[in-house]
Amino acid sequence: MTVVLAAIAALALAVANWFIWVHAPLEETMGLVQKIFYIHLPMAWWGMISFLAVFVGSVMVLWKKSAFWDRLAGASCEVGVLFSGLALVTGSLWGKPIWNVWWTWDPRLTTTLIMWFVYCAYLLLRQAGVGGERGAVVRAALGVVAFLDVPLVFISARKWRSIHPTVFGQQGGGLEPEMFTAVLVSIAAVGIFWVALVRLRTLQLGQDAAVRQAFLHRTR
Amino acid sequence: MLGPALRIAAKDLRLSLRGAQGLAQTALLGLLIIFVFSLSRKPGELVPALAASAIFWLSTLFSQVLVFNGLYALEENNGARMGLAMAPIAPQAVWLGKALAGFLLVLCCQAVFAVAVAAFLGQDAAGSLALGLGSVLVVDVGLAALGSFMGALASGKGARESLLTVVFFPLIIPVLLAGIRLLEGVILGGDGPSLEWMGIAAAFAAVFSAAALILFPYLYTGEE
Repeated sequence: MTVVLAAIAALALAVANWFIWVHAPLEETMGLVQKIFYIHLPMAWWGMISFLAVFVGSVMVLWKKSAFWDRLAGASCEVGVLFSGLALVTGSLWGKPIWNVWWTWDPRLTTTLIMWFVYCAYLLLRQAGVGGERGAVVRAALGVVAFLDVPLVFISARKWRSIHPTVFGQQGGGLEPEMFTAVLVSIAAVGIFWVALVRLRTLQLGQDAAVRQAFLHRTR
Repeated sequence: MLGPALRIAAKDLRLSLRGAQGLAQTALLGLLIIFVFSLSRKPGELVPALAASAIFWLSTLFSQVLVFNGLYALEENNGARMGLAMAPIAPQAVWLGKALAGFLLVLCCQAVFAVAVAAFLGQDAAGSLALGLGSVLVVDVGLAALGSFMGALASGKGARESLLTVVFFPLIIPVLLAGIRLLEGVILGGDGPSLEWMGIAAAFAAVFSAAALILFPYLYTGEE
């Protein structure tokens, strides 16, 4: 199943690249640099969805006490940190020629960076084995608290200052229909890739746990 | 829950203030931070109100981490945590008690930091002092709510205090921004955007108090 998903993801990403480079027109003022947006936006969205998945997994750990949900939360967090990290890097690469800075204070940038910090710390706690036997529950509590912070971070960062372009805003944004199609295809393709990655890592974490269980006398 | 929480807070305060070693160390660290930041300006150069306010809250944050690590370390030995967890009280009373004790200890440190910011960074309060005190109290409630929760996370076997800082600092960003803006308003005078920031600080305190009330029993068990 994972192999099939990965193959579909590879195909979808290839199709998305055709849409990005051939179907979507070149942006007038930004030129080629604007193409980064088709990678940046799906990465940012799926990164945030990963953090939502960590939250859902964490709530389920507390509710059902199931190790599967803990592994799903862990896998989602890994993928989320990777994707939001890539969103930050691609955003910076776009920002340098357009805004003339690598980094600036903006609610979305700041929120993504802060969530990246929080979930990196979550991964560190996982690795460090904090909580011992009750590790899953401790991580779940952190997973819930971290997600509760997202709206507060966003509101406070927006109140501080904002210059981020609104692509899907109330004013309708500024996307040509071809560009809109390209970004939707890209979001879908990265989405399939995301599902494949999360599934693979969840399975791997499950296998890791099974091996540890089998060699318990050695790890203790 | 309130009675046991007050008793736990009183016990923690007695233990923390005995010899005042813990509190002195915490206040000293904060003072050092303010002093070191004062070196970032040339002699005679004014520190902007926003920077001074940020330095005040940074000192508060570092002392806050020390305070809550210290409060949860009180039950580290001789199975004292097990005793507290087995006591016939709601587990949340431990969170509330430690949050109260931590709130008061941090407030003591802040009294010292406020004087240090005025002296080392040359700041003066042009705005309402009552508003300033109110803002500090509201922000401190949020900090204590999350600090007490995170302290429990870092207690016990396998926990790393340094890891706590890495988790704690990004989580408190919203209330930190609110605190910085509120204090800047007090230093500069005028109370334009204060109420909105006060709202964010109050929302932070409410959200994390509610989360801690629900989640704390999962975190705080007697297990080593």
